[in-house]
Amino acid sequence: MNELEKLKLDLKNLNEEAAKIRELEREKRAEFGRKLNLQKQEILAQIAAAERRAINKDVVPIDITAPCNVNEKLPEYYSVEQGSRHPLMTELDRVTEIYQMMGFDVLESRQLDDEYHMFDSLNFAKEHPARDGYDTFRTEEGLIPPAHTSSMQNRALKKYKSRLDEGKPIAVVIPGRVYRNEDVDATHEHTFYQCEGVYVSTDCTMSQMLGILREFFEKYYEQKLNIRTQPGYFPFTEPSLEFMIEKPFALGGKKGEFLEMLGCGMIHPNVLKVAGINPEKYHGFAWGGGIDRLVMLKYRLPDVRYFESGNLQFLREFK
Amino acid sequence: MKISLNWIKKFVKIAIPDEELIRLIGARLVEVEGVIDETHKYDHIYIVRVEKAEKIPDTHLTKCMINVGDEKIAHVEYEDGLVQVMCGAPNVREGMLAVWIAPGAIVPASVHEDAPFVIGKRKMLKKYDSYGMLAGADELDFGEDHSGIVEIDPTQTMPDSEMVVRPGDKLADLFELNDKVLDIENKSLTHRPDTFGIIGFAREVAGILGIQFSENQNDIFSTRSPRPIVMGEASLGVLPLSHNGLKNANSGSLKIDIQNPDICPRYSAIVLEKHGEMKDKYLTMVDTRLAKAGMHPINKIVDATNYLMLLTGQPLHAFDYDKFVAVGGGEKPEIKVRLAREGEKIVLLDDKEVELNNDDIVICSGDNPVAIAGAMGGKSTEIDADTKNIIIESATFSLYHLRKTQMAHGIFSEAITRFTKGQPSYQTLAVAEECARMLSDGYKVAEVADDYLAEPKEIVVKVTKAEINNLLGTNYETEKIVKTLTNVGFQVKEESASKIAEKDDVMLIVTAPEWRTDIHIKEDIIEEVGRLNGYDNILPTLPLHATAEMNSEFCLKREVRDLFSKYGANELLTYSFVSEKLLEKAGQDATNSYRIINSISPELQYVRQSVVPSLLEKAYMNEKLPVEKMAMFEMNKVYQKSWGVNEEQVPVERTHLGLVIAERKNNETAYYKAKKYVDGLMDYLNISVIYLPLRVDIAETRMLEPKRAAEIRNSETDEIIGVVGELKNSVKHEFKLGDYTAVAEIDIEKLMKYRNTHEEIKIGQVKTMDETIETDMTYEETLKEIKEKYPEAEIEPMSIYQAPGRKEKNISFHITFKK
Repeated sequence: MNELEKLKLDLKNLNEEAAKIRELEREKRAEFGRKLNLQKQEILAQIAAAERRAINKDVVPIDITAPCNVNEKLPEYYSVEQGSRHPLMTELDRVTEIYQMMGFDVLESRQLDDEYHMFDSLNFAKEHPARDGYDTFRTEEGLIPPAHTSSMQNRALKKYKSRLDEGKPIAVVIPGRVYRNEDVDATHEHTFYQCEGVYVSTDCTMSQMLGILREFFEKYYEQKLNIRTQPGYFPFTEPSLEFMIEKPFALGGKKGEFLEMLGCGMIHPNVLKVAGINPEKYHGFAWGGGIDRLVMLKYRLPDVRYFESGNLQFLREFK
Repeated sequence: MKISLNWIKKFVKIAIPDEELIRLIGARLVEVEGVIDETHKYDHIYIVRVEKAEKIPDTHLTKCMINVGDEKIAHVEYEDGLVQVMCGAPNVREGMLAVWIAPGAIVPASVHEDAPFVIGKRKMLKKYDSYGMLAGADELDFGEDHSGIVEIDPTQTMPDSEMVVRPGDKLADLFELNDKVLDIENKSLTHRPDTFGIIGFAREVAGILGIQFSENQNDIFSTRSPRPIVMGEASLGVLPLSHNGLKNANSGSLKIDIQNPDICPRYSAIVLEKHGEMKDKYLTMVDTRLAKAGMHPINKIVDATNYLMLLTGQPLHAFDYDKFVAVGGGEKPEIKVRLAREGEKIVLLDDKEVELNNDDIVICSGDNPVAIAGAMGGKSTEIDADTKNIIIESATFSLYHLRKTQMAHGIFSEAITRFTKGQPSYQTLAVAEECARMLSDGYKVAEVADDYLAEPKEIVVKVTKAEINNLLGTNYETEKIVKTLTNVGFQVKEESASKIAEKDDVMLIVTAPEWRTDIHIKEDIIEEVGRLNGYDNILPTLPLHATAEMNSEFCLKREVRDLFSKYGANELLTYSFVSEKLLEKAGQDATNSYRIINSISPELQYVRQSVVPSLLEKAYMNEKLPVEKMAMFEMNKVYQKSWGVNEEQVPVERTHLGLVIAERKNNETAYYKAKKYVDGLMDYLNISVIYLPLRVDIAETRMLEPKRAAEIRNSETDEIIGVVGELKNSVKHEFKLGDYTAVAEIDIEKLMKYRNTHEEIKIGQVKTMDETIETDMTYEETLKEIKEKYPEAEIEPMSIYQAPGRKEKNISFHITFKK
């Protein structure tokens, strides 16, 4: 008798034992049942494990170094027509490519970070209600899957600080995946992509920030664009703005129809200070905006949930 | 937040069209999410006088003859100059001024419904003609009151006029209802508590229009200096205790005891004693403005507190005085502000019992909590129909504590929304006094107390003209800068140029008004100048700077993306968070995953340890679509607790390339398809690898079948780069996948480390040949032999044949010799 057969016999015996419960006095039945049930669970678990072992047992080994199995054809790649790149990644590549042409380095953001990078280093006062606006996830350890790519600002400033001593500006863009604890619908995802920009020099101005952002969007949409701003609030920039562009013709835009593209502003002196940069000597600006929206606009996608769906019928449309 | 433009216009003379004004508010103050156009909501609705009211016996109806004014109304038959309308309200009576919805008008409460209700001519009880209707507050969209029809105070004057209201006047004119209401996005005003009141919002509107703002216009009270109020029976006299004078001054027997100024910088209270009846039967401007802000009228006392909150941003609370004293157990009220004790309980106005914790601030009578400060009042001191005397509370509390209260108890009232922005303390007493004035018909001031423990310091910021223009990239003159700031209440002094370095520069010493608690540094002043004058007026320019450097990981991922998509593979992005069940199915230990404590669902509770399990889940989903053949890959970040933390003390992060091959109908060996993709990648990156049996026991290998999986190692250093293989049968079973399934998981960092961009290119084919070797060695060993035999040649496999029952295989190679 093999192991599995033996376990199954045990189970059968136990079930027969269980039938005797009717012969017992009422008050003893509960205790009896409980005990038997524990034993039964234990045997069932052993059976499951044994079954797993059994189905994994009779596997034929292969030569793992070979290009194919004996008497089989050499495998081939699937046809190129079937292949695709994820539209978010394609667009992110395009975005960073334009910024690189404009002289920006590229740094990728982390996907699990801490309170310091998410909030403290960005001039959020401790326990401040402004922290609530970000609907952050948290782990048991208090770590945070970042809710914005701004969580990389402090790292970027520290990493490229030496540029300033060489008389060069800091110019870096930071794409990455961010997370917010919110209900998912056609226009909201808990997981999405952003791209951050950070620029620091001795004499940079808001006028330059607006110039860079307009330049980027004109390059991206390959046309001249009207821009517009509105005041915003972020603890890590002062002044803070929302940046808008007039919806490009190519996307079916009409005159006077503006799209909110990103948040931006002059870096708060405290943010520079925390990164060891003298805010009396240097100024900076920073911005951050969503990538998903760019892609949805470009391909006129109605639903943001496609992106992380893994649905190949959708993805294969993007060669 | 809802903002009535008509209310704003009470404070600021506006000479531009509403559309332009709304655009400027959007561009220079805050995002306007929507505009509710009420310009025609109250068309054809008139003030009328009920001249005759004749009760129809045995019904609830009254036949009314109403005076609708001199102007002729269409679609109406007159009888002796009066119009007949039937009314079912109990309070209809001769001589009253009522509101009449004329035939053809839309009932305002139904304006936003799909099928707005248009009133017409009706016949009631089969014989009485009824033209239009006499309206109740609910029909006019001023709340839910359906107990009777609305009555208008006959002594009320028309706005900005001495004329008393008359029949035929339009309701919209009397209450300024032809309005546009702005829906404001609160989030971007988190730092501006002052704009959560109409006065503060109007001040900003003046600022963006370049107009000097004055609170005292139109006789609106000043939040800075309270007007004199009536004390007891005495005639008008200046309040003996002024908020800018004495501290901690309590008049008479009303005692205030604040445990700690950090939780409550200031607490003002006024005791009001009932001396007469409020004129509460009339519809007032207070009711209509509350309704426009989305608040329901409740009773005159609560309405007054809500109205002043909308006006000033300062929330007020009213306690029933006698209940308050009774709860305290003493003779006189003793107000105590303290932190709650853990587990202390209170029943709130909404009848819910709440268990408090020691972050909550409570207002106590004696030592017994009667309200959660800033959040909600308690049931035990609620104002009701029998209330005689009241205590008006006007205070400020620590926003940090209130934020915790908000989260712990889920209270999101209009009051706490304002408090958690950090309301300034300067106006508490003035607002409480204004409340007393609003209620003076029925109540007189008995006592005033004001405990101002933490008076804020004056905020003074120095900034030069050059600093402003240099940060903005503008060229604003001193005069323009000064005017911009003084328009909204800043005081600006210019310091002589000799004290600063630049010759034509000017030092500005800016004092922030009391309500601007958000001003700390010169950048805050620069923001005001830039914003109020419009960022749109700043000319975009481009800086010149150095060239950028490549990010090698980013580039490599782009190359993999291009390569694999050419190989017919599909790039996926899947969630970083996975379920415990998925980890289990993949044989991974959940305790090695960082766990999200506030996850959206159990499906998204753990940070993933590797990419492949997420793709396996998608493989089954896609097979069902159906998709027959797939190679799916994803490059993303993964975390395992066992990897520890880096020098920044944050978890070590790795970027993995995950690959899953899956087909339903294929009898060959999936392992080799996956290996083909891996080989192709290694070839492209010019990395030399060897495939060795699984030795490591890591999260990535637990799902793999050891007899049909390999570690991918660099041939020179023997370092592991990734794994490739088929799944254990039990794992395939769990994921509901067929036999033709294989996976690979590769560390991108290792690919960067070993990729070799210097490849020697050989051009020109010289000779080719095929060779077959009979062997019982592995392919790798055979290949090695043949390579030793032809060291300069390129060697490609052709086939591996094994005759039935034989141990040896015939391995055929295609050999190319180049120059």
